[in-house]
Order: sequence, then structure tokens, then C-alpha cells
Amino acid sequence: MGNVIKKLAIGLAVGGVLVGITRALQFPFIFQMMFFGYAILGAAVFILLDAPSLKTMSGIKSLIALVAFYIVLCTVYISGASMWPQYDPEDEKGKIAKILGPKFAATQQGKAEELIARAKALDEQVKALEVRLKELGGGQATKEPPAGAAPATTGVATGDFMKQGEEQWQLQECYNCHKLKGEGGKKRGPELDNIGTYLTVDEIKLKILDPKSFMAEGFEKEWEKGKMPDKYKDLMEEGDVVALASWLGTFKNTSVNTPKPIKKK
Amino acid sequence: MKTWQRGLVAACALLALFGGVAYAQAPGAPSVEFPYTGNRTAVWIVAQLHILFAAFILGAPIFVVISEWMGYRKQEPRYDRLAKEVTKVTVILYSMTALTGGLFIFVLLATYPQFTTWFINQFFLVFAVIYPALFISETILLYLYFYTWDSWKGEKKSRHIALGVLLNLIGLITLVVINGPTSFMNTPVKAEGISPQLYLETATLWDKIFNYSWMPLNLHRIVGNVTFGGFVAGMIAAYMYMGAKKDEERAYYDWMGFVGNLIGVGAMLFLPFMGYLLAYELCDYDASICPYMMADQLSMFFEMQGAMIGLMFLASNYYIWLSMKRIEGVEKVRMTILAPIAMVALPLVMTKVMTDYPVPDPMSLAFLLPLILAPFTLARFVPLVRFIPLVGRFIPQTVSARTVIKIGFLMVVVGDAIWLTPHGFVPTGAKLVAELELPSDWNFLALMPAKNSAAFTLVFVTVVNYVIYNRAIRQGTIVWGKIDFASQFVLIFLAFSSIWTMGLMGAVRSLLRKYYHTYNLLPDFTAESFTPTLSYSAWWITGITVVFFVVVSFAIIVTLRPSDSKGHAPEGSPVPARAK
Repeated sequence: MGNVIKKLAIGLAVGGVLVGITRALQFPFIFQMMFFGYAILGAAVFILLDAPSLKTMSGIKSLIALVAFYIVLCTVYISGASMWPQYDPEDEKGKIAKILGPKFAATQQGKAEELIARAKALDEQVKALEVRLKELGGGQATKEPPAGAAPATTGVATGDFMKQGEEQWQLQECYNCHKLKGEGGKKRGPELDNIGTYLTVDEIKLKILDPKSFMAEGFEKEWEKGKMPDKYKDLMEEGDVVALASWLGTFKNTSVNTPKPIKKK
Repeated sequence: MKTWQRGLVAACALLALFGGVAYAQAPGAPSVEFPYTGNRTAVWIVAQLHILFAAFILGAPIFVVISEWMGYRKQEPRYDRLAKEVTKVTVILYSMTALTGGLFIFVLLATYPQFTTWFINQFFLVFAVIYPALFISETILLYLYFYTWDSWKGEKKSRHIALGVLLNLIGLITLVVINGPTSFMNTPVKAEGISPQLYLETATLWDKIFNYSWMPLNLHRIVGNVTFGGFVAGMIAAYMYMGAKKDEERAYYDWMGFVGNLIGVGAMLFLPFMGYLLAYELCDYDASICPYMMADQLSMFFEMQGAMIGLMFLASNYYIWLSMKRIEGVEKVRMTILAPIAMVALPLVMTKVMTDYPVPDPMSLAFLLPLILAPFTLARFVPLVRFIPLVGRFIPQTVSARTVIKIGFLMVVVGDAIWLTPHGFVPTGAKLVAELELPSDWNFLALMPAKNSAAFTLVFVTVVNYVIYNRAIRQGTIVWGKIDFASQFVLIFLAFSSIWTMGLMGAVRSLLRKYYHTYNLLPDFTAESFTPTLSYSAWWITGITVVFFVVVSFAIIVTLRPSDSKGHAPEGSPVPARAK
């Protein structure tokens, strides 16, 4: 027992020192506690190393010990996993619906096209019937007015268009690699706050659709390895790419050192 | 279970496969909705169970044949007994693999008929011809191997071992073949400038199989299966040790547990690097996978993985510690002082070197190799090295084995701490705030060089401990059957934890497809195509692991308990360790 108390005391002392050091180094509180936890883990390991031998069990006693051990393991693993910060799937569901929405609509569109084809065939039959009726001397069949023109598409307001571009930035998770407005990026890709000074909207669009078309200075290795995924031409709708490129084109903050793009294709 | 019954099970599995294919061809087959779990979790449960059984029946024979061969070479009957006992359990679990495989196909077809039809069409030759042919061949070979055990002995033993090697070869091919479609779902074929859909139309079957993550997945699963086989053999030994009534039985199962653990840990040393290779290839395929894994939705899954691996390394070293305690004369064993120095220096030096020369820059080896090799005397293994003045030769100071192991434990805790330290206590980068983020000067602790150094420290300490153990058994006397009873719980812990971790990483690999059935190719339009929480996943992973354990425990009890009455040659009497 004295050994356990001694090691626990050492663990607490080491933990206290670690907390002191990490506090002095301005680690957030949660990290201070994490380092304290490591010290206690170390103490537990050393207590276990010098613990007296466990007596051999047999029969029902060993079976009970075994079942209890499994229950402890299950509890520890489930509660351990539940203690980490949990990702909220609701955050993702909206995004997925927006990304897959057009694709799903496309599949519905396929069904709609089939309906249109059937309607056309019926229309042909109606016309054939009208001709036959005329031939039979009816002549009174009134001609239907031409189908109404498709509703005119309203132009997207510039504000909405920019919002759409920003939304694409979030949906495609560009922030994982590129820093913008001081947020996101892990140095995987260039910071983009001044991209509008170097590239036109069409050029940005080209870069999104064909990542090999431009190479940012200082990102030669990344460019050669094709780090920027060559998938957006397949994943994104034309309008979304234009919106994203237009939105990025507005970033002309010359105080940020956005690397110069070099045309490669 | 008799041969015809096993054959019936295999036939049912094949019927399920072909019947499933036929069902999938039915136009507009409606999908069902699983109550409570939902469709995705239902597929997850069945698929994971199938993979666990499959991993065992592919991993255990590797272990079995090595053991049988060692018994033949050393003329030691206990190796042969070990091999046979594990094979008995394998035969039962083989039937379970076939059953869960059939169930997997049925559930998949009922829940995702359109996708399954498309997927089977993509790999029709594999699913309809190659895989069933391999499965049937493996079935025949396994039963042949098992039922010829007693008749092919003595002069015919080498023939039996050759049959075992052939069984492993077919098993390996089966694994590699089925990994083709599995890895395709993560990294389907692609070519620069062409849409994946368009490219797929011209791609051959080989193009689809030989995708980006196929070979890394093969390597990862082969090593993982050997680890798995070793740890489950250790668990079988622990069960039998707990149930043993005679000292000689305890001695035998103590030895069996040691061998199973040795194989399991030996293979586990390579697992972090195989996992790294797989992750590297996935990131190389599509850079957006990397942040999804490490910084966003799945980042906390990797924290949990770090915790599990840390615990497993602690447990495997603790087992060595307990094993050392029953060696008489262990106190005389000493090791060069360079061993603890290298252990302590490794995480710091490696983090610095790998930051300056990132993987795969070979320059990093120029700094790290001398440090890693310094404590070892390679002259025993490589004659040429004796002409190279290793630093260890000029430093005569040594420390006791006990001290080295204790410093090793300290460094395992340090390694775990580095591995676990996250960039921020948030589930996604988007929620990062200063109060939950590492200070920028210390951010290197959360980057890959630090994580690699942590993994390598864990591996290095374990290798040093096994070297010490090897020296101890050469210089002392080992008394089998007298190990601390706590070691049996360590063996069970290792088996349970390795299987749990396997389930966790299996979920990660599957979730990496995001909202696609096949990444970037075939979207999953169902409402379940989001990333589940770690907590939710942990519940199911635990449930699946428990079900697997119940079945395996049942198989062990059914197959090995009757052997009590038969009696065995007294293998377990205390022998000088060097006689091993």
C-alpha cells in the first residue's frame, strides 16, 4: 500500500509540475488537464508494474472474473469514446443535401425526360387524330393555343450570386487547404486573400476545373503531386463553379502574401 | 459438425451469392428499411462481423503452419498441439465466415439493391467465378488439412505442412482478390482530365482491381490478420489456462499464450507503418481525404485509435514484464546504457529530423539509423557490420534489464501522450477556438512528424524489451505455468482491444467514402449518408466485438474442452529456457 501511495504522490507531483509549466506556456486549461492526466496514467502504470501477483483462479471464480473484465472493457471503451468531442451529424446533413441535391435532381430529371418523351408520343397521336377528324369533315376541331412559353428565368441578383460562391467555398470545404480572411488552411494550399489581383474570374474557374492549369509559386511539390483534387469538374455544377470563381475574384487584399500563380497550360 | 454439414453451410453461402446476384438483376427491386438500426448500420454490423471471422480464418492458418513447421523442425510436440488446437477453432469459425458472408450479401441486396447490382456488374468475374472458385478451393484444402492431421505424420509430416502452405497461399489470394472491389469503393480508377464515369467505361477489370489503395490495403490486412491470429491464439490460451486443472496443462497454455502474444506483437510492430502507408496513399489519391480523416469529421476517431494503440503497446510490454518475473536469474541480465538513452532521445530527435526532412526524404535516415541501431549488436546477424565501429563498442557502461524496461514504460507513456495530443479539442476545424487549441509554438505536437516519432518510440521500446527478454531466457531458467495470473487478463485485453481497434479503423475506412457508395462515382442519396458520431460508432463497434467474442468463446469451449480427458504428453515441465 505504501508503494501505491508513494507512486501516486509522485504522479500527482509530476502532474502538478506539468500543469504549472503548461500554464506558464499559456496552454489552454483543457490541455493542462490533459498533461495532468498523462502524469496520472504514468503513475498507474508504475503502480501496476510493482503490484503483487494475482492469485490463480479457477472454476466459477475465474468465469465471474472474466465476465466482469469484459463488462469493464466495454464500459471503458464506450465511455472513453463518448468523452471525446463529438461531431454533430446535423452540421453535415445540410451540406450533403445541398451537394447531392442537384445530382439527385438529375436522376429525377432522367425520369422527367422519359415522361416528356411519352407526352410527345401522345401529342403525335392527338395530331394524327385531328388530321383524321378533318379528313372526315369535322373541321370544327379547335386548335389549341400554342403551349405557353417557359417561364422566364429571373436573373440572379449579384448579392445572391456572391452568397452562392461563398456557400460553395464551405460546401466543397476549400478552407481545409486554403486560408481566406484569416480562417482555415493548413498550409496545404496557398492563402487566397489576394487571388483576385492575379487571376481573372475565368482563370480562377479554369484552375478549379483543371488544377494543373496554374501553379502557385512555392507550391511546386504540391502541384507536381497533384495535391489539389482534380474532381471539381465532375462534382460541381457549372453555375456553382462560376459563382465560386466570381466570389474568389473579389478578394484583392494586397496586404496578404498570396503566392503568384504561374500559368502551366 | 460433420463434413457434409460444413459443405452444406458453404453451399448455402454460395447460393446466397448467386441468388443474390439474380435478385439484384430484378428491375426496380425495392429496398427495405431495417428497424431500429437503419440500413447502413445493419450492413455495417454484418459486414464487420464477416470481416472479423474472415480475418481470423485467414490469419490463424499462417500462425498454425509456422507453429507446425517449428514443431516438426524442433521435434517438439507442443508446437504441433498448439497448431492443431487453433485449427480446430478455425474450422468452426470457417463455417461462421461462410454464414456471415451469405448474410452480408442478402442484407446488402435488400438494403441497397441498385448499388449492389451496379457493383456486382463492375466485378462480375470476381464475384461470380474467381471468388467462389477460391472459396471452394480453400474449403477443400482446410478440411483436407484438418482431417489429414493425424494420418499424415512422421515421414508424411512435410507433406502435411506443404498442404498448409498451399492453404495459406489460396487464403492470401482470396484476400488479395476481394480487396480489389473493397479498395475500389474508396479509390476507384481515375485518370487526369477524364471524368471517373467516362474512364470507368473503358477501364478493364485489372484497372479496377489495381487501384490506388489496393496494395496498401493488402499489406495492411495481411499484417493485421497475422496480429489478429496471434492475439486470438493468446486468448484461446488464456481461456484454457483459466480453466486448466492440472499444472502441466497450465504450463502448456502459459507457453501457448506466450507464443500467440509473440506472434501478435511481432506483427503489430509493423501495423502503424502499414496504416500510415494506406493513409498516405488515400491522401495521395485525393488530398481532401486527409483533412476529413485527421482534422475534421473523423479526427476524434483517430484520437480514439491513438488511445487504443497506446494501451495495446502498454499491455504487450506489461505482458513481457510479467513474463520476465517468472524467469530465474533475470536480475543478472544487463544492457548497454545506450538503450535507455536512445529511448529517451528518440521522440525529440525524430520529431526534429522528420520536420526538417519529411517522409519519404531519405536524409532523415542518416540521422535516425545510427540512433536506432546504437543499442544493438548487429555483428551476430550481419558479419560485415563487425567492421563498422558501432558507438556501443566504445561505451562499456551497462544498466540492469529492470531499469531499461522501466525507462521503456516511461517512454511508452510519453509516446502515448504525443500520439494523443490533438491540435484542438474540437470535432472539426470549423469549431476551433483559442481556448481549445494548442498554442501555435507547440502546434508541432499535433503534426505528423511528432505522431510518427511517437509511433516509432512505441515500436522501438517494445523491440528493446523483447531483446532483453530474449537475453533473459538465454541466461536464465523459465518456469512455464508459474506466470502471474494477471497475464491471462492481459492476453484477453490484447485480443479484445485489437479487435475493437480493427472495428474502429474498418469504420473509418468505410466512412472515408463520405456520402458516396463508391467515392466520387456513385452518390449515396439515402438519409444515412452522413458521418456518425464517435460515441454512436463505439456502441456498435463494442456490440460487434462482443458478438464475435461470444461466438469465438463458444467455439473454443466446444472444440477444446473435450481434449481435457484425452491427456497429452507432459510438455509443460520446467525446462532450461535455452532449450526452447
